[in-house]
Amino acid sequence: MSSETRNDAAVQIDGVSKSFSGTVALEPIWLKIRRGEFLTLLGPSGCGKTTLLNLIAGFLEADEGELFIDRELVTQVPPHQREIGIVFQNYALFPHMTVAQNVAYGLRTRRVSKAETAERVAEALALVKLQDFADRRPRQLSGGQQQRVALARALVIRPRVLLLDEPFSALDRNLRTAMQVELREIQTRLGLTTVFVTHDQNEALSMSDRIAVMSQGRVRQIGAPDDIYDRPANLFVSTFVGDANLFDATLQGVQGGAAELIVGGAPLPVETYQEDLPEPGPVTLFVRPEQCRLTGAEEQGAVPAIVALSVYQGSYAELHLDCAAARGGRIMLRVPAAKALPAGIPVGIALPRTGPAIYAVEDADKEVA
Amino acid sequence: MTKRPFLGWFASPSILIAFGIAASFLAIVQYSFRANIPGALDPGGFTLENFTTLWKAIYGDAFLNTVLLCLWTAVFTLLIGYPLAYAMVRARSVRLRSAILLISLTPLFLGEIVRTYSWMIVLGNRGFLNAALMQMGLIDRPIPFMFTMTGVVIALVHFTLPIVVVMLAAGLSHIDRNLERAATSLGAGRVRVFLTVTLPLSIPGIVAATSTAFAWTFSAFATPQMIGGGQVQTISTLVYQVGFASFNFPLAASLSLTGLLFTVAVLAIFNTGIRRLERIGGH
Repeated sequence: MSSETRNDAAVQIDGVSKSFSGTVALEPIWLKIRRGEFLTLLGPSGCGKTTLLNLIAGFLEADEGELFIDRELVTQVPPHQREIGIVFQNYALFPHMTVAQNVAYGLRTRRVSKAETAERVAEALALVKLQDFADRRPRQLSGGQQQRVALARALVIRPRVLLLDEPFSALDRNLRTAMQVELREIQTRLGLTTVFVTHDQNEALSMSDRIAVMSQGRVRQIGAPDDIYDRPANLFVSTFVGDANLFDATLQGVQGGAAELIVGGAPLPVETYQEDLPEPGPVTLFVRPEQCRLTGAEEQGAVPAIVALSVYQGSYAELHLDCAAARGGRIMLRVPAAKALPAGIPVGIALPRTGPAIYAVEDADKEVA
Repeated sequence: MTKRPFLGWFASPSILIAFGIAASFLAIVQYSFRANIPGALDPGGFTLENFTTLWKAIYGDAFLNTVLLCLWTAVFTLLIGYPLAYAMVRARSVRLRSAILLISLTPLFLGEIVRTYSWMIVLGNRGFLNAALMQMGLIDRPIPFMFTMTGVVIALVHFTLPIVVVMLAAGLSHIDRNLERAATSLGAGRVRVFLTVTLPLSIPGIVAATSTAFAWTFSAFATPQMIGGGQVQTISTLVYQVGFASFNFPLAASLSLTGLLFTVAVLAIFNTGIRRLERIGGH
């Protein structure tokens, strides 16, 4: 079993860590990236995701631990021998070369014959739909086109792993979505193991096979996008990925698989996915906005709140509510735009019986700003 | 529209300087077309004689010497300055960076005369360099550095180095590090990364630094005068000789003017050549 999973790993990170002049950038980390998998490293800036990417690429040397690519130990292998393709945030196209020369660069270093180089460059440019741009200079291309060139240049060497360092952050929204779809299609078609670094949770949720959520140099949770979104392992993940409503609650005990809570003065039995619940006493209840239901102010068991602000978003409206039972006094709900309410209207919030998570209050003090 | 209320006040000193330069330049142009009256400081009537005099071999040699001197100085300054600038931009340790900056810039603060005197001490037949070489048994008798082209070039390289290092460093620091990383990830070793990415992208810096070095050396006077000791004649030493030993101001003026036009011409040729090279290198 263990040898089988080892064979399956395209990249294996065994206890790799990194500090910069005394400051820990990455705590020792263990991670297996499966062959053909699209793995996203998601986290706020300074969480260590870029450090991890640079360690895999070989631009940084690990303080300790070992790194395997295709079961080969590469901890000491210099970056130019690692057979890795990288797309940089600013694309890093060589400005003094044409598009074709940029793409051919990795083949020339490998002493591939002229005929084969020409063939593979044409193939790579066709893959990113830039056949007609071979003789242009990078500065003559749009941002999206430059990105495709960067991708073609990384793919043409048939890398063992593709590393993407926030490649979409410089594109405007429509183009970004189109490029995301296109990249994912190409990646799936080629079955290419990919490590993608981003701080954008939407990007991570929509593109990844698995997401590793990082903060302060540690991986806080790793799992499929729906695992991360529906079953966050801790309060950091809950609040970093997606929107979160947090309530001050009291945990009275656990009965028959349901946690007995008091929220806003009303009893609420909750079935959670969590295996470990905090000690009975004051706790923090985490609920996604779409799990909350807006009701009348007098409804039995509903948490009372008052509309503070309604923000029109086109297909829906965001209702920001003042709620005494909420942590920080504010929660947010989405309703169809037609059902938006003006400020000052008292409402009720019906909380779900299944789905929410319960965290210790100390976690909330530590992880929620 | 943005108002810049103090612009006029701030610009006024530069106008004063521009006026001074223009006036002296006009005076030199005017002098160069006037006849020389031996024994008198005031020039005579208008004539083209000064410029026909310049066709003599002694002046031609000075022009040739000057160009050779500038060329050799530029080449050696570049060869020494590039690694220095590269190390300065890329060194990880802040201390190493400031050390390189300090070492390459201090000559700038010493003044040409002091530096030239130091070089005379180092380059003399019993100087530091010859003594050291003889002690090591590398040579039997001193190599003559003083009053030779070699000696003047050595001192001029030192004179020009600070400006070249600073200009090259400015150029190198503008190269995106990710370009080198990208090349590395595509399988290029250090030498290849340097030759195919760093070097081609630093060409604008090299061009700027070389042209400046050229002009810088062209106008050097104390170094060729003192180390050359009259044996290495350049345009600037000749201007001094004609003007202040023979008191032939009109001829000195025409020599200066021709020298200036000559520099402009050489730099123009140089720049066209480089631009061609850049275009070829790009493809």
